[in-house]
Amino acid sequence: MLELNGIRKTFHAGTANEVRSLQGVNLNIEPGSFVVVIGTNGSGKSTLLNAVAGTFLVDEGSIKIGGEDVTQWAEHRRAQHIGRVFQNPFSGTAPTLSVAENLALASRRGQARGLGFALAGSHRADMVAAILGLGMGLETRLDNAIGSLSGGQRQALTLLMATWLKPKLLLLDEHTAALDPRSADQVVRITDRIIARDSLTAMMVTHSMQQAVTYGDRLVMMHRGQIIHDVSGAEKRRLRVEDLMARFEEVRRADLLDTSAADLLRARYV
Amino acid sequence: MSLLLGAFIIGLILALVALGVFISFRIYHFPDMTAEGSITLGAAVAAALLVTGHSPLYATLAAAVAGAVAGLITGVLHTRFKINALLSGIIVMTALYSVNLHVMGKSNVPLMNVTTFADQAAKLAAHFGTEKVLLFGREAAVRDLTLLGLSLGLVVLVGVLLYAFFRTHLGLAMRATGDNDQMVRALGSSDGVLLTGGLALSNALVAMAGALLAQYQGFADAQMGIGMLVWGLASVIIGEALVGTNRFGYLLAGAVFGSVLFRLLVAVALRWGLDPNDLKLITAVFVFGALVLPGTFAKLRRRISAPVSGDSRA
Repeated sequence: MLELNGIRKTFHAGTANEVRSLQGVNLNIEPGSFVVVIGTNGSGKSTLLNAVAGTFLVDEGSIKIGGEDVTQWAEHRRAQHIGRVFQNPFSGTAPTLSVAENLALASRRGQARGLGFALAGSHRADMVAAILGLGMGLETRLDNAIGSLSGGQRQALTLLMATWLKPKLLLLDEHTAALDPRSADQVVRITDRIIARDSLTAMMVTHSMQQAVTYGDRLVMMHRGQIIHDVSGAEKRRLRVEDLMARFEEVRRADLLDTSAADLLRARYV
Repeated sequence: MSLLLGAFIIGLILALVALGVFISFRIYHFPDMTAEGSITLGAAVAAALLVTGHSPLYATLAAAVAGAVAGLITGVLHTRFKINALLSGIIVMTALYSVNLHVMGKSNVPLMNVTTFADQAAKLAAHFGTEKVLLFGREAAVRDLTLLGLSLGLVVLVGVLLYAFFRTHLGLAMRATGDNDQMVRALGSSDGVLLTGGLALSNALVAMAGALLAQYQGFADAQMGIGMLVWGLASVIIGEALVGTNRFGYLLAGAVFGSVLFRLLVAVALRWGLDPNDLKLITAVFVFGALVLPGTFAKLRRRISAPVSGDSRA
């Protein structure tokens, strides 16, 4: 469903602040696969998701969604294939619009928005049914401004909006990181349920090792703009939090032995 | 009485400016300076068409289209060429000053000998058969009342159309753009196009107000746009205070009420001997106060309610 070939992206190229965020990423995701992406800070995992979403255009490589080359497409054009939930609960919803109005916007994702009334009658029953499915008691607040809801509620609604029209690809960028533990748990469970129900193809970036081992059928670990581990099938199911911690420790040690750091250590201690 | 009616009529005409400013400032949070140029543009286009014998309706609609083009250019400067919002508007406003002079051919075009919408209202009023009626115990000119009725009808019509438009799929996406452009892109719409369209709509309304104002006053002038943005903003702020809610329809109505009330206050102040030269200064001070005072009051209230822990420096 998603094919990434040799993706490279460098920010602020040629300046002192040059950051090589993606250094040749290849990834092929099968339809219906739920891929969890982990990695250290600055490893490029969120950048990878943004590259797929089209927040910026990549320097090199190609991106295909459902066989269609979208490498040069603008962000809003790619949205016809992609549903997204962001880390910041405020990013996914329009605060002054009501819950129903936000859902109405999502019901036209990637389609022409004409002059038909957005809240025409028939839609409302679907909205209530979908919101009931969240189990958050929001069905009575359809006409409240979304800005009056909590982060967890807004994130759950963003999820509902992102999947209202079945996307070819669902991108979840640490979408529970800004929530309290209880809401985070609730939102990730809803996520898993929706992905399973609609057999969606999804990529989820997370910092939670627990989420990484519990959810998804494939795990990708990134480091320095590259994929360094790719685990799926039975191996992914056997994965425990300790295994992941061990992998992170490996990466950390490898980093210590890296050229510049090694020089520094040698100068100090040898 | 005629002074009061005049204030009402101008207040209603300028309510279109308030609605335009409401769209740019409140929906998009875009400080659109274009308005200062497009109100004059509307007046200039209408005046130029009226003196060449076109109908008031045609002239007013053409003015609105011209305003829309001005807003479109500002939107393109900002979204395509990434020019700062304020500067995009200032650039277009500055350019419009020359454009307006070219359209009019001189800096002031009198509309005394041509048929304006005000004259059409007078013609309509003649059908009532009487020139004066008693209103609240005072004599009022039927001509003024007819004009007032027409202005009111027009503003209500525009208001209702705007309200309906902002409830459509397209209008909702426009409102969402001001709220959260990231979300609009993630839902597959170009925030740049939606912003540009909104600015075009906003400036179409402002230019239409310019066209009507010129016809009511009986002249179009190159300087008539100065201070109009702050004027519109003052109306929007008064309107928000009047309706006291964030519901969209109320806010639209509030902008209209605000404009009329503000004009009435100004008329009263002028009657009491306010120097007309001070009008813009007072408007500016008023807007400053309206923007700053609510925060200051909230801070004071907190300070009063919170117990001060022992301050030795006192």
